[in-house]
Amino acid sequence: MIKRLFMMLALVVAAGLALSAQSRGALRINEVMVQNTDQGFTDEYGKHSAWIELFNSNFGPIEISSIYLTNDSTRPKLYPVPMGDVNTKIPKRQHVVFFADGEPNKGTFHTNFELTPGQDNWIGIYDADGLTLIDEVVIPASVLPGQSWARTEDGQGQWALRTGGNDDYITPSSANIIKDTNHKIEDFAERDANGFGMTVMAMCIVFSALLVLCLSFYGIGKINSIISRRNKAVAHGNEAPELAEIRQTQHDTGEEIAAIAMALRDHLEAHDAESTILTLKKIRRAYSPWSSKIYGLRELPHR
Amino acid sequence: MDFGDFLLKNLRQFWELTGFANAEWGNIIMLLVGLFFIWLAIKKNFEPMLLVPIGFGILIGNIPFNTEAGLEIGIYEEGSVLNILYNGVSAGWYPPLIFLGIGAMTDFSALIANPKLMLIGAAAQFGIFGAYMVALAIGFAPDQAGAIAIIGGADGPTAIFLSSKLAPNLMGAIAVSAYSYMALVPVIQPPLMRLFTTKKERLIKMKPARAVRQNEKIIFPIVGMLLTCFVVPSGIPLLGMLFFGNLLRECGVTTRLAKTASNALTDIVTILLGMTVGASTQASQFLTPSTIFIFFLGFMAFIIASSSGVLFVKLFNLVLPKDKKINPLIGNAGVSAVPMSARISNNIGLEYDPSNYLLMHAMGPNVAGVIGSAVAAGVLLGFLA
Repeated sequence: MIKRLFMMLALVVAAGLALSAQSRGALRINEVMVQNTDQGFTDEYGKHSAWIELFNSNFGPIEISSIYLTNDSTRPKLYPVPMGDVNTKIPKRQHVVFFADGEPNKGTFHTNFELTPGQDNWIGIYDADGLTLIDEVVIPASVLPGQSWARTEDGQGQWALRTGGNDDYITPSSANIIKDTNHKIEDFAERDANGFGMTVMAMCIVFSALLVLCLSFYGIGKINSIISRRNKAVAHGNEAPELAEIRQTQHDTGEEIAAIAMALRDHLEAHDAESTILTLKKIRRAYSPWSSKIYGLRELPHR
Repeated sequence: MDFGDFLLKNLRQFWELTGFANAEWGNIIMLLVGLFFIWLAIKKNFEPMLLVPIGFGILIGNIPFNTEAGLEIGIYEEGSVLNILYNGVSAGWYPPLIFLGIGAMTDFSALIANPKLMLIGAAAQFGIFGAYMVALAIGFAPDQAGAIAIIGGADGPTAIFLSSKLAPNLMGAIAVSAYSYMALVPVIQPPLMRLFTTKKERLIKMKPARAVRQNEKIIFPIVGMLLTCFVVPSGIPLLGMLFFGNLLRECGVTTRLAKTASNALTDIVTILLGMTVGASTQASQFLTPSTIFIFFLGFMAFIIASSSGVLFVKLFNLVLPKDKKINPLIGNAGVSAVPMSARISNNIGLEYDPSNYLLMHAMGPNVAGVIGSAVAAGVLLGFLA
């Protein structure tokens, strides 16, 4: 009974840990525009409202229904993201934009609060309990109309001003850095054109990994043999003294046993004097189970 | 339109859907390749478990049909049955399942008893990186070169796993190349083994390794997984499943699971993997100049890997005491190809001394090669993905 309870408890703990690992803690506020302009991003009604971009930094989807968006730290449950909308499930490494237009009746992605131009705007996202702050940011008052306040990299990095120029795009609902090439590949192509660097690095890593494994198993083998010897010594220590003495003095080499047996036979069955020379030769068996098929790959151990 | 015209029109439409109307030279060539694979497997007994499913898959994948008819039958058409089965290859979840089976059927005793044999498995991975350098020289991009070079690991699941991540467009050719060369291991390796060893070296008798206690066998997959995955976390899918399968086998309390993983599960996944890899070789995707280069590079990788394993043992023998010398004939087993390459070590050894059984000694570097190639794949994935 206790064993079952313990197992149930372990399962509950494991499930809880797994759930918390996949929780909405990976949600990030990624980019914010307080004063949208006529050239800016429009909502589905064609309006240019302030917007808040959230980013799922996980490599799995996140369901954001029932989390809270707020611009007032004293009211963490200001805007609950409605349930029952399939679009609240953000795919891995993807974005979603909320319009801070104070018109929640327009749909899931329209908050019931607005951002205020000309002053610092604090924005926070709280988990479903309304207590756990997942992420927060303060957008400085100095951000001008048509400019956004964004992370330098999706879901991480510093916050910086984006003016919409060639080098600092404003990117609602898409990645803050537009990657048109794989920099890792380019780096290798440029700096290690013949592959020598990769070969040296990779072979060092492969050798190190297997060397560490090799040394570990030398160590484990040694420890095992010490334990095994000690166990034998303990087992022998528990024997009766006369048995231990016999074991110590026993020399059961085949030659001696054969010689004794021959001597006894000679003694008990008396013969005439014979000049034969008897040679005792130990025969070794060439067969070793080491090479036997029964110890092959598919033999499974049984306890 | 009279009834005759109506019949003719429908028959003409049906004809346009048939393989005869859509056949191209590429399809015919690939069908012949598929038949050749099946012939090799049945007649020559070359890796039949792999070549029969792959060969038949090539036949399935190269039946010509009208791709514009929207029949949803091709392997590259989303939602088709073949496409759903192919997801295990393209998303890379068949290879870890195969590794689970390999772990459950492999006895690591030879390696545990003589851990220095692990280094042979590491040395043979030079085949991968040697081929990587050649691939770069030919003009492949680093990610494509990495995906092609993994053929040198002589490990089909690893090659599929890595190519699905680094170069999905080359995966069909890489997989077929890897499996083809694995089937040809008995042809490729023996001449190299003879070339790089002297008769005296071939006669080296290695001492039977010590008996390995059961608790060592249980510790091995746990410690092995932790150490290798800490060094190369990108190898977790392959190494994690390999060692997990081995723990199922060795712990002694999950015999049923180990049997399922090593028999039924492995067989099912092998069937699906082989068939879909074969079917992915549609002539339009497969018959390109890169395929020829991939086959050439795969061959190079196998040669470099086998040679470097043998040469490493010779080098290693220079520092080993006289009574602990290693027979260089087991060096070729450092490439994975379990257990084929170990069997070759044994066979060549027996040719020169009928009492010199090298099989279990060769199993050490052989299984170390599996670990080594998974680590190498993890390294390539970490650097290039």
